[in-house]
Amino acid sequence: MKKFMPVEELARDERFNQITQADRMADGRVALIADSEKSRRSNRLTPARADASEAARALMHGIFVGEIQALEGAGRTCWDFTTGEEAPFELKLDMARQAWDEARHVEISLKLSDWMGSEIGQYAENTVLFQAACSNDPVLRLAGVNRALEGLAIDVFTTMKEFGELAGDPYLEFCEDWMLADEVTHVKMGSDWLRKITENDPERRKKALEFQGIVDKMFSYGGSRSDSEESAFAIARRFRELAGFTEDENDHIAELGMQALNERKAQLREKQPAAAN
Amino acid sequence: MALTVTPDTFDFVAFDTAYTTRIAEHMATQLGLDDIDILIAINENSALTRIEVEATASLITITPHSGAMEDTRRPQQQSELNTTITMARGMLRARDRLRGGFAEAPADTELSLPQAAIWDTYIMGRIAHMDIKLNKQAWVYNFRNRHGFSDAVDAVFEKVWNTANTTWAELSALSANTLSVTA
Repeated sequence: MKKFMPVEELARDERFNQITQADRMADGRVALIADSEKSRRSNRLTPARADASEAARALMHGIFVGEIQALEGAGRTCWDFTTGEEAPFELKLDMARQAWDEARHVEISLKLSDWMGSEIGQYAENTVLFQAACSNDPVLRLAGVNRALEGLAIDVFTTMKEFGELAGDPYLEFCEDWMLADEVTHVKMGSDWLRKITENDPERRKKALEFQGIVDKMFSYGGSRSDSEESAFAIARRFRELAGFTEDENDHIAELGMQALNERKAQLREKQPAAAN
Repeated sequence: MALTVTPDTFDFVAFDTAYTTRIAEHMATQLGLDDIDILIAINENSALTRIEVEATASLITITPHSGAMEDTRRPQQQSELNTTITMARGMLRARDRLRGGFAEAPADTELSLPQAAIWDTYIMGRIAHMDIKLNKQAWVYNFRNRHGFSDAVDAVFEKVWNTANTTWAELSALSANTLSVTA
């Protein structure tokens, strides 16, 4: 079986259409709500949004494909590295447990998608999550996948859990709460292994944390995650702390989110008048 | 009467004005709206799925944001099905206001979320009965989000979905009653 599989080779059937983060960012249309609009000053994904059902459905499909990619990422980490020499057996055991969790999350997300009224492949699949899982250093994968990707999952699941709670949707709230608990464990695994493996290698730790910063910014999705009400979801600080993120790290992620939001807004300001001329 | 689609060309999406016009004309004929001017002014700057409708005795203006006509599997590409559904939604809303007993309904921007949801259910139910493919469960979910998650709410949804002819007074009263039962 092939090792270090590139993102282009992910196996999908004809229902799926994959796009890259570059494709997504090249879209010059505004998906943010203008500040001046009376009825919707916030982009937070809550039931108060007029398009709440549609937005929640699209996010749920994003979670579904994200879970598939997280499963593939954790599975690849078990396979790509030599046991003992490149990755400790116990680390692989944790990744195997994570793969099992992600497989369950795929099934849960699929059921929730049915419940919310969408179909497999109804929305384009952004492959950015698996891209973060393609590093040839297991420590960078832990930083990129377990800390950045699964950290994002904490933020997203918290938002969806709250959405279910506010809307009175018992299944959504319950399922997201259970998956959230798993995600906290996955991030904690990443935090613990990162510390352990790089204990005597500060340079490698620095490199891994830098990589995590890059991935965190990518996962801020043009500002869809930050402390600003203009972002669809917030930084779930409390759950992140439980998963091993320090307050400084959470502040840094919030700052990256704001940067990504402002960059996206500037990019759109440039594109829209250019098109109008 | 004239049906106009704007803009002629697109910068942000790969939509086709002539193609959209054909779909809109077909829908206007099907819904008996070929005796009134219609302007379809596509807002390509916005990726939202919103559809704005204004109806006067002489002109119907439908402003779909590009997300409402897009193929969600292939962003920025036009979907024939979503374009058809969007035209039907906009035109049915306008027809309700002009000819369907909805004259006293508040402006779209003044509708409460449950009111908007029950009207959408009435519209989407009629579209489904025109044999246009759509995901009914998505509209069940929208109705539940606005009226509550219970069997009683689902029964109201079914009733509205299968209604061919009602008025704003009946529909808004049904929504208010459903909310009071689930509160």
